[in-house]
Amino acid sequence: MPLFDLWRRLPRPLRIVLSRLPMIVPQMLGVIFVTFMLVRLLPGDPTLLMLGNMATPESIANLREQLGLNGSLWQQFVHYMGNVVQGDLGISLFTSNPVATDLMERAPATLELIFYSMLLTLVFAVSVAVIAVVRPRGFTDYASRFYGLAAGAIPDFWVGLLLIFFLFSLAGIAPAPFGRIDPLLEAPPAVTGFYTFDSLIAGDFQALASSFGRLLLPVLTLTIVNAGALMKMTKTTFADIWRSDFIRHQRASGLPERVIIRNALRNSLPPIITLVGFLIGFLLGAAVLVETIFSWGGLGQYAVQAVINSDYPALQGFVLVASAFILLVYLVVDILYELADPRIQV
Amino acid sequence: MSRIADFTAFILRRPAALVGLILLLLQVLAIVFAPVLATHSPTTADPIASLQPPSSEHWFGTDVSGMDIYSRIIFATRINLLISVTAVAVAFVVGVPIGLLVGYYRNWLSSLTMRVFDFIQSFPVFVLGMALVSVMGQEIWNVAIVLAVLFIPVFARLIRAEVLSLRDRPFISAARCSGATDGTIMFRHILPNALTPSIVQVSISIGMAILLTAGLSFIGAGVRMPVPEWGLMVSVGSQQMILGVWWVSLFPGLAIVLSVLSFALLADAVRDYFDPRRERG
Repeated sequence: MPLFDLWRRLPRPLRIVLSRLPMIVPQMLGVIFVTFMLVRLLPGDPTLLMLGNMATPESIANLREQLGLNGSLWQQFVHYMGNVVQGDLGISLFTSNPVATDLMERAPATLELIFYSMLLTLVFAVSVAVIAVVRPRGFTDYASRFYGLAAGAIPDFWVGLLLIFFLFSLAGIAPAPFGRIDPLLEAPPAVTGFYTFDSLIAGDFQALASSFGRLLLPVLTLTIVNAGALMKMTKTTFADIWRSDFIRHQRASGLPERVIIRNALRNSLPPIITLVGFLIGFLLGAAVLVETIFSWGGLGQYAVQAVINSDYPALQGFVLVASAFILLVYLVVDILYELADPRIQV
Repeated sequence: MSRIADFTAFILRRPAALVGLILLLLQVLAIVFAPVLATHSPTTADPIASLQPPSSEHWFGTDVSGMDIYSRIIFATRINLLISVTAVAVAFVVGVPIGLLVGYYRNWLSSLTMRVFDFIQSFPVFVLGMALVSVMGQEIWNVAIVLAVLFIPVFARLIRAEVLSLRDRPFISAARCSGATDGTIMFRHILPNALTPSIVQVSISIGMAILLTAGLSFIGAGVRMPVPEWGLMVSVGSQQMILGVWWVSLFPGLAIVLSVLSFALLADAVRDYFDPRRERG
């Protein structure tokens, strides 16, 4: 079996990637099918719903053509899939732009928000969990138990509003909760789309300070709500490993505490990676709420506008892009998981 | 009856569970006696009394259209718990038999079902919920149906995992040898032993459903004004929060937190109660 031998001789990381990659195809097909069916779930004729009672037969026919509602369901699906593959997600009824263009414009705002929230969540949750386990019955241990219980019960949009009230309205520490940058400043020239990175590249430190300032409250909101789950899970995993034989052996061999913690953390990595992937999906949903509160102008706010204006092509496009993004995240997570745990056979 | 007495005694010995139980009882009281407990009509606007701070007349203040926030919070308990409990009940009733069948009969149909569930669960919950509700129409029952659909895979998966570990046990083989039909084995012998994780999950899911319902209403994809609903009430106050008007959003948000917390605490209590390693006495 030469093919099998060839496969065995590939480096392990490459084997992991190659065995995972084909899975994405049926999943993407499924996502396209679901978003396709979404508009077909509308009760009644979607064109009438979108155009209202003033619709003329011509405008209805036009919109039917535009939405790809002509022909059998199968023909419609093939038509829709053809468009999606070519990057055509239809025209937004509200902004009159191609949905794909609208989404591309707004994606960096949301990604920047998610990026910093995930970063802060990881740092905060893992350090609290480690301290709580290493110093049991200490302040951090008790505080983390209380926080773990409360964090799962707090609605993110409410936390955002409270932060605005306390840090902006009352204390006046936080910058105004509208938008990604001070309206008097010019946004840095787009390279990555992340305002913080772009202003650093442009050397514009005023814009850098402003965009970090604007990130403060929304990132804090998402972190407070998100870190609870990660903290609890890390604590459980890390506590198990902290009590295991190999850690006891390391301690008996006189390794410094810092090194032992690092080794124990290395072994708690796989479940953390899985949960991080899941949390990114959760953050995308939470971003919809938080962006609305902070007028963030990202994908989430676009989706809310689409819901309010019954802009179905835009909503459809958002669901498609959001789900495809999550699938990619899960793919990366699966790959990282197998890379982090050398015991898994590929 | 002794089971209930035993469980009550168990809860009374645990402060956290007791808090959860008291919070739940408060919600039941609010649901049953809402017209008695409320001081004002929950849906009557009073433009003269707009944005009044908390006072002896309006305990939690009034919102921008002058509705009494305390009375709306009391009445909203009905809507929020109705949606959440219905959604989870439907998900439980549909998901449990599916999980049972999928775990018991292992053929192409059950693998296909599990793939479909994997797929539903790979969507970001809130995004899918938002899209479905806005497409189906923003009605209370549609929110409940959508949440139920999103929760069905959770229960099916939990039951299936239990069934898989039970189906090859000796007592099941014994039942089969003594001539029990598949239906008897599944429902009489496997199901009672497979239910515990799902019962815990019921309580957790109700909490999640409350948060999701509130979130959907908050962005305008759930129920609409003037229906008293906690998330919608927070949303009504969100514009004024920046001006320092805190009471419109604070109190309904607090209601959400306490409600979700009560179900989380009870879930913990139920889990510990059914834990076989727990010492009895």
